[in-house]
Order: sequence, then structure tokens, then C-alpha cells
Amino acid sequence: MRRFLVLLKKELRELLTLQTLLPFVIVIAVFGVLGQTLSAVSAEQSAAAPLAVADEDGGPYAQVVLEALELAGFETVTVDGPLTEDTAQDLLDSAEANIVIGIPAGFSKAIAAGQTQRLPSWTRVRNFSFIGNTDIASFDGAMSVVNSAVAASVAAEAAPSVPPAMLQQPVAPAEHVIIGDRSAETPAIAVMSFVSQQTTFIPIVLFLVIVFAAQMIATAVATEKENKTLETLLSYPVTRTAIVTSKMVAAGLVALLSAAAYMLGMQQYMSGMEASMGGGTESAAAASAAAMQQLGLTYGPTDYLMLGLTLFASILVALSIAIILGAFAESVKSVGSLITPLMVLILVPYLLTLIVDLSVMPDAVRYAVMAIPFTYPFVTGPALFLGNYGLVWWGIAYQLVWFAVFAAIAARVFSSDRILTMKLSFGRKKR
Amino acid sequence: MTSAANAPVLEIRGLTKRYGELEAVRGIDFHVQPGEVFALIGPNGAGKTTTLRMVATILRPTAGTITMNGIDVVKEPDRARQLISYLPEEAGAYKNLKAIEYLKFVAEVFFDDRERAAEAVRMGREVSGLGDRLDDKLGSYSKGMTRKLLLARTVMTQPALAILDEPTSGLDVINALELRERIKQMAAEGMSVLLSSHNMLEIEFLSDRVSMIAEGRIHATGSPAELKERYSAENLEQVFARVARDGREVA
Ligand SMILES: Nc1ncnc2c1ncn2[C@@H]1O[C@H](COP(=O)(O)OP(=O)(O)OP(=O)(O)O)[C@@H](O)[C@H]1O
Ligand SMILES: [Mg+2]
Repeated sequence: MRRFLVLLKKELRELLTLQTLLPFVIVIAVFGVLGQTLSAVSAEQSAAAPLAVADEDGGPYAQVVLEALELAGFETVTVDGPLTEDTAQDLLDSAEANIVIGIPAGFSKAIAAGQTQRLPSWTRVRNFSFIGNTDIASFDGAMSVVNSAVAASVAAEAAPSVPPAMLQQPVAPAEHVIIGDRSAETPAIAVMSFVSQQTTFIPIVLFLVIVFAAQMIATAVATEKENKTLETLLSYPVTRTAIVTSKMVAAGLVALLSAAAYMLGMQQYMSGMEASMGGGTESAAAASAAAMQQLGLTYGPTDYLMLGLTLFASILVALSIAIILGAFAESVKSVGSLITPLMVLILVPYLLTLIVDLSVMPDAVRYAVMAIPFTYPFVTGPALFLGNYGLVWWGIAYQLVWFAVFAAIAARVFSSDRILTMKLSFGRKKR
Repeated sequence: MTSAANAPVLEIRGLTKRYGELEAVRGIDFHVQPGEVFALIGPNGAGKTTTLRMVATILRPTAGTITMNGIDVVKEPDRARQLISYLPEEAGAYKNLKAIEYLKFVAEVFFDDRERAAEAVRMGREVSGLGDRLDDKLGSYSKGMTRKLLLARTVMTQPALAILDEPTSGLDVINALELRERIKQMAAEGMSVLLSSHNMLEIEFLSDRVSMIAEGRIHATGSPAELKERYSAENLEQVFARVARDGREVA
């Protein structure tokens, strides 16, 4: 046991170098920044974007429009019209706005006469990014605010006995969602978008952690071969099992460390996501978050534990396979191509589960996918949402069986000549 | 050369190794006495490294027995590893470790006892002669420095049998001389040595007995003086040339 610890210390020292840690640090930093950026963007989004209004009407309904916009939190800047194709550019520039709305002369009169009016507007599109383009969303918001305000004041004139709000939305949805045995009052669309954010992001982290672990241990074995330290190591008075396990434990520990760091980065990302939910207002976000929690769509400590266990089992399977593949390597350079089969085995369930749910796959495909051990970390997240703990435990047990088989093979490879005589060309000949 | 009271440290009988079709070692016998330096010499591909690797427990013989102080090396490699220390040809070191950390690592692998481990490190430090450079990372070491460190590492655990595959290859004359002196001195203190080399001067200086190996077979064994006499040669190089030629004819 003490000698095992000596070996473990050496393995960790070999692994924890700048070159090996740099990718982790970078990825974690990127996730952190991503989360920060998301919340920053959403904060900016909820702050009102300046809106240029060229009011050439000046009538009562134009006043209604302006007041409604201001009430809804839009910062309006009045510019001197007229708003035409030729002047739009200048008006936007002079107001430093991205949207300019024109209220044409005669607007109020026409509304009062019961005629639908068109409000010309120009929106400057500066980029095509997913979240960066908040102006378009805010224009949508502005239009609905304007519509309800004008409708309300028209209704107040035409039918003073009916509350204007009723006229605007006589039928309101009260949406409820049921997941498993839990239910909550929230729009189904909000649930779907919340879940899809999580089910696309978490798998990336899982994928990276498993692949890093595999790469690390295969490289560790290949380095021993390339630097010609393996022969000496094998002649030391330590059991071969100790050599194999010390390498696996070291790589597993580093991978778990990185997983923990990723989780941290992910939490930041998630809180950034949550902040940008619910249309930006804080109370809406809180209400939405509460609904998600009520539906079991946020992970509690037990869920994180089970996710962690599944991931740990996957890391073990990946390590036990990768250490064998690493034994084939003649040099560190050949590691990349050697672990390709393993990568494919991880990539296939990752991509598949990203696109389709296990339950909707044809039976044959589903069983084939479920036979791949690396499927389980990817299906555990959704399974926990649905309270399907059976699948999670089965996945952990199934992966441990794979690990036992490959760890036994690895121990055999290291206790026989093969660790020294096995080569890529030899492997090819056998195939 | 064999006294009944002196049981050999290493006894090899009918040792054979096949790599698939190729029979690299074809049934060889020899033994090494306590405090003896025993050398294997022979042309490239003769089977020297293969033999040393089998003694070092990292290859399994296809046939034959290796007995070390009464321990069956093939059946009980873990026990045999306590007795040996192996310096492979072209061995490397962990580039991210400092030399001193490497010595400490090996000492701790060999000895549970702190005192003994510390003693081994002290000896490794002295034998290596690397002084302050021991605090440098091994990645920055020259070939010769690495070889010196590895040789120091091999002898510092005071093994019953040191297995040295071309110990001084790649070293300059001065360093090679120093290391040979050191090996000879340790043998005088009771450590047995099994080595292979292509340097006949080294063999003459170091070895008590020599086996000439070619094509996986031992063709002659004896002290350097005996061999020169038997082949009526002036030096070991001539002996080597003749045995190598004979070996090719036999095969
Ligand atoms: N891992 C291996 N797989 C297949 N054949 C091998 C392997 N290692 C050695 N051989 C073959 O076994 C024979 C003996 O090789 P060995 O390395 O023991 O020779 P050697 O006497 O040490 O030579 P040198 O003086 O060049 O170091 C050679 O023909 C070699 O090609
Ligand atoms: Mg050799």
C-alpha cells in the first residue's frame, strides 16, 4: 500500500504539469467567462434600449404611444421627422439608436375614425448573433406595448362599461405542466427551452472529461514507452497491479478534479442562463425558476451525486480501455490515432442523445446504443429530471462491469511480455 | 571458479526465448557467483538484451529456469525483484522530475524503511557525482548525465545482482572510467554484476568471467585470460571476431 502511494505520487507529478493542465484551465476559464457574459448580456437586455421616435402627428393617440413606451421602460428620444428611407439613417445616427419609429401626421385622427394605422420603423441590424441581437426583441416588445395602449384608450371611448384589459385578452391561458408525478403552473414552452439549455450543455462537459481522462492515461503509458522508463519501472519490486492501478487512480483523480472544476464553471454558466430567462424581469425569472424547481428540473445534492457517480464509472471504463490502447503506442504521437476507436465509442452516444431521446429510438437502435457504456452519462441528466432512478443505477452497474472486464485485461497485459512487445504493427497483423 | 561453499547468486539453465517465429535465445546455461562480474558479449542481435530482460523479470522465458538465491524467478518474480536492480540499454528518465526526486522515488519504491531509503538516496547522490545538478529537471540532462544518474540509481539500492545492459554506452572516456571503477569497487564489496557490453576494454577491465553469445547460443565461457588462450588470440576483440564468425557458420 505504501509503495502504491509512492507510485501514485509519481504518476500525479507526471500528470500535473503545465502542458497537461493548460487545456483544463482554458476550458474552465471559457465556461466562466461564458456565464459572466450571458448574465451581463441579459442585464443589458433588460435595461431599456434607446428608441428614437419621430412624432409628426402630435395628437392624443401619439401621446398615448409615447407614454406607453416610457411606462414600459423604454428610453425614448424624440427626433425631428419626417421619417423616410432617406432620413432614417441620419435619424438613427443623431439619436444613437438602433430603432426609429415614425408617427405620421394624421395618425390620431385616423385611429379615432376607426382606421388601422401603420407605424413605419427602421431597425438597424448590426450582427446576427444569438443573444447579441436584443434590439429586434425589444422592438417586438415595443409594438405590443403600443398596441395594447392604443387599444385600451380606443376601447375606453367605444365601450366604457367593459374593462379595457378584458377586451384586449378576453381568454388568457393558465398553463400547467406535468413531469412524472410533479406539476407546476408555467408555460410548456418555457420548460422545454430550460431543459434543452441543460441537456445541450452538460453533455459537452461530460464528453470532454471522459475524453481527457482517456487521453491522459494513454499518454502516460506511451510516455513511459517513448522515454524508455517502462522497462525499469517493470523491474521494480512493486506488483504490476500496483503499477496499473496507480496510473488509473492518478488519471482518474485528475479527471475528477477537472470535472469538479467544470461543474463550477457550469454553475456560473447556468446561473447566467437562468438570469437571462423569464423575459429579463427579476420577478418573472424568480417565478420561472421556482416552477422549474417544483417540476424537479433543477438538480439537488442527490442528483449531483448520481450524476457524479455515473461520470466516475464512465471515467473508469474509459481509463481501463485507454490504458490498454496506450500499451500499443510506440510513441506519444501515436496516441491520438490509437484512441480513435474509444473516441468514436464516446462520440456516438453523445451526438445521438443530443438529437434524439432514447425512448423514441427504434428498439434495435436503442439496445445497440444502450450497450455502449458511455451512453449512460449522457442519459443520466434527463433521467434524473424524469425521476427515472432505475436507469441511472443500472447504468452505473453496467459500466462497472465493463470496467471490471477491461481492468482485468489491462492487468494481464501489464503482467505479461505484451506490454513490451505489443506494437501497432503487431496489432494490425493480428487483425 | 566454483567452490561448493559458494552457492551462485544466479543460475540459468536451458533458457530459451521465442518472439513468435524467431528464437532469440536458444537454451543457454550460465551462473553468477556472489561478488562476481559476469559479462555477455556478442554481435548485435545475439540475444544479450533478451537474456538480461528475462533475468530482470520483465520478459517471461519460453523455456528454462532462472534461479536467484534459491528463488524461482519465473514463478516468484515479485520476490526476485527485491534482489535485483536493472539498467536497460538506452533507458530514460522521467523528464518532469528533478534528478533528486527521481532518486527519492526509486529509493521509496525499494525500501519501506525511511532510514534505508535515505541511505540509498545518499549513496545515489554520491555515486552519480552530479552535485548541484541533482536539483535540475531530468528533461534538461545530457545523455551522459542521464546515464550516470541511472547507473547511480541502479547500484544505490545495493542489490544482490545488478543487471547492466551496456552500462557505459554514450559516456565520454573519463566518465566511463569513473563508472567502471565504481562498478568494480561495488563488486569487491559483494554485489554481483551481470552485464553486456560491446567495449572489449571494459570487459577485460571489469569481468571475472565472460560468455560469448551469438545467434542465441553460448559458444564459450571463461575468464578473459582463459578465452584468449583458448582461441590463441592477443585480445578479446580477436576472440569475439572468431566466435562471431563461427556462430554464423553454425547457424
Ligand atoms: N520485442 C521483440 N519482438 C520481436 N523480436 C525481438 C524483440 N526484441 C528483440 N527481438 C529479436 O531478438 C533477437 C535478439 O535481440 P536482442 O535485443 O536480445 O539482441 P542484443 O544481443 O541485445 O543485440 P544488441 O547488441 O544490438 O543490443 C534479435 O534478432 C531481435 O530482432
Ligand atoms: Mg542489446
